[in-house]
Amino acid sequence: MTRRIVLMLTLLLVVAAALGLYAWYLHRKVTGDEERLRQEQQQVASPASGPQATVTLYLASDANATLSKKAISIPLPAERSEQARAILRALFGTYLHSGSPHPIGAGADVRDVYLLSDGSAVVDTNEAFAEAHPSGVLAEELTITSIVATLNANDPKITRVKIIVNGAERETLAGHADLRRFYGASNVAQLAKELQ
Amino acid sequence: MALSRPGRIAVASMLLAFAGFLTFRSTQQASLVFAQGSSPGLIAVFSPQSVYTVPVLQVGAQPYVGLMDLLEPLGSIETRINGKKLKLHFSSAGTRQQEGDFQEGKDNGKIGGDKFKLGANFVLQNGRGYVPLSSVPELLSRLGVKPVEYRPTSQRLLIGNVSERYTAELKKGTPSRLLLGFPAPVNPTIATEPGRVRLTFKRDPVVAPTDRVKYDDPLITGTTFSEHNGIAELEITGTAPLMANFADGGRTIIVTAAPGPPPTQAVQQLPVPAPQAATALPQPAPQPPPRPRFLVVIDPAHGGDDIGAAITPQLPEKDVVLALARRVQHELQAKGVAASLLRTGDYAISLDQRAISINAARPALYIVLHAANTGNGVHVFTEMLPPENTAAGGLLPWDTAQAAFSDLSGSVAGSIAAELESRKLPNATLPAPLRPMNNVAAPAVAVEIAPPSGDIADIASANYQTAVAQSIAAGVAAVRSKLPEVTP
Repeated sequence: MTRRIVLMLTLLLVVAAALGLYAWYLHRKVTGDEERLRQEQQQVASPASGPQATVTLYLASDANATLSKKAISIPLPAERSEQARAILRALFGTYLHSGSPHPIGAGADVRDVYLLSDGSAVVDTNEAFAEAHPSGVLAEELTITSIVATLNANDPKITRVKIIVNGAERETLAGHADLRRFYGASNVAQLAKELQ
Repeated sequence: MALSRPGRIAVASMLLAFAGFLTFRSTQQASLVFAQGSSPGLIAVFSPQSVYTVPVLQVGAQPYVGLMDLLEPLGSIETRINGKKLKLHFSSAGTRQQEGDFQEGKDNGKIGGDKFKLGANFVLQNGRGYVPLSSVPELLSRLGVKPVEYRPTSQRLLIGNVSERYTAELKKGTPSRLLLGFPAPVNPTIATEPGRVRLTFKRDPVVAPTDRVKYDDPLITGTTFSEHNGIAELEITGTAPLMANFADGGRTIIVTAAPGPPPTQAVQQLPVPAPQAATALPQPAPQPPPRPRFLVVIDPAHGGDDIGAAITPQLPEKDVVLALARRVQHELQAKGVAASLLRTGDYAISLDQRAISINAARPALYIVLHAANTGNGVHVFTEMLPPENTAAGGLLPWDTAQAAFSDLSGSVAGSIAAELESRKLPNATLPAPLRPMNNVAAPAVAVEIAPPSGDIADIASANYQTAVAQSIAAGVAAVRSKLPEVTP
């Protein structure tokens, strides 16, 4: 074997090794990104504190397109908007459990609930709520109805609800249900009744 | 066989180099996917059934088209993918079902058991099969769709003798008139510039007897026919401003001198008779006032980058609803109901653009189609707007325009649900907060299909979609007399 061939083969070896290393680097980067995203989505803030109180949740089920009422006990803060937030977080918590009949995106959370004097409530959700929400007319409608009916059931002074995402208005929840509008509690209550 | 040390190094190097090459090749293959979307282009397909466009994707230097995009509007197609192999079953009206087999990376396949040369490798990407554009005419013929005429310069595919060859006759006079005759009514857009009129045919399969004609006339000097990007253009040149008028119900276009500028006040006061030229101006046939008609606009939701729900990783909602929309259109037309699609290919339309197009079409009924992988059966939705906005009459608020049509929309939804029930398809009727439905000033329903049973893939099955489409069409036909016809 001539010196020239050995040199060429060595060069090939170096190129092949470099390509192999690059492929390994890409694989590691993708895996790392996915893991980081998963961890970010699982970071849900700690539950609220306060005396235990019984609240009513309107729970959706995709399979039979229904809403059902369920009473649960949770720690409830004294302030109204904090109460609304705690109740919605309990609702989201139920949906985030594995095996939920109405799953929502991992990491979905309520950042804040703003209550206005005219009975309006603005629910500020995080990005994961909308970005990872299952897409579909029925699935999105059930989520919105469940949120509005739950808020109204626990605080009848809330008469209309708007959902925003990460502090900003969004056109649709996950491509279907309109998020630009306020949802009237009485309008939704009629639908909730039909879905029971 | 024992190898010397340099020999072992050489073998190891070659193995590593081969591994590197495979890594490089896989990266290259992945990059093809992105290259496809970079400069899509379109071919326009004109068939007796419909006029539609198909995106052209660049794979390397070769233009490709999607099998589903191409074949779906022409008949019934079902595909099954098994690893690198794609099997399709296709049938169009009046032809027997044909079976095709293709394999990723192979430049030949089989149609009806016979070998078929593609000319370049078959591409399978994200559950969709792509064939070279050059193979399309032969592919269609082998599948029983013929005759096929592909006009590469214009990227127009004419199927089934649909081409409309026009005639041009110059009537000399003062002023001269050029009469363009078409075998069927045409609807080009007309643009005028000083000394020329340009007719652009986007939806008419117009072809020319001769590309360039010169006239020995003081007014009209010639015509030039050209084709590009799926459209045909006919330019008429002259020595003075020209205008074009329709006659004979759109079968004739008359090109002649445009009227001159309005006379000045001083000229108007002169008691002179009307010039002879004015009497020679063509009098276009009086157009009858538009008649009310019953049109259903079908909106396959989503499209382009907006894929909607991922029914499966390989099956986006946008594709499922486009196939369903074509079936609904077919079933409605079979019942004598005029129906048009808001989206005929894979492109994005914003919610506001959709609403504008729908309201401009002035339909008697709007049906938007969705698909989901949660739940099962069919859900029929009507608007979910506050009752205080339901007053009709006068100008309608954009955000709640649909509220004025609540009762009629409810009748349609109920009728469709009854038809679904009669076909034993699980269904429910609900209100839903949906745009652009809320912005539509016409009766409107949304239909969302979920898999009929446990198998999600069944959502795209021909049997299921046909049953749903027949239910929708029968439901619409049953309440047609209740819905007002609309003057366009």
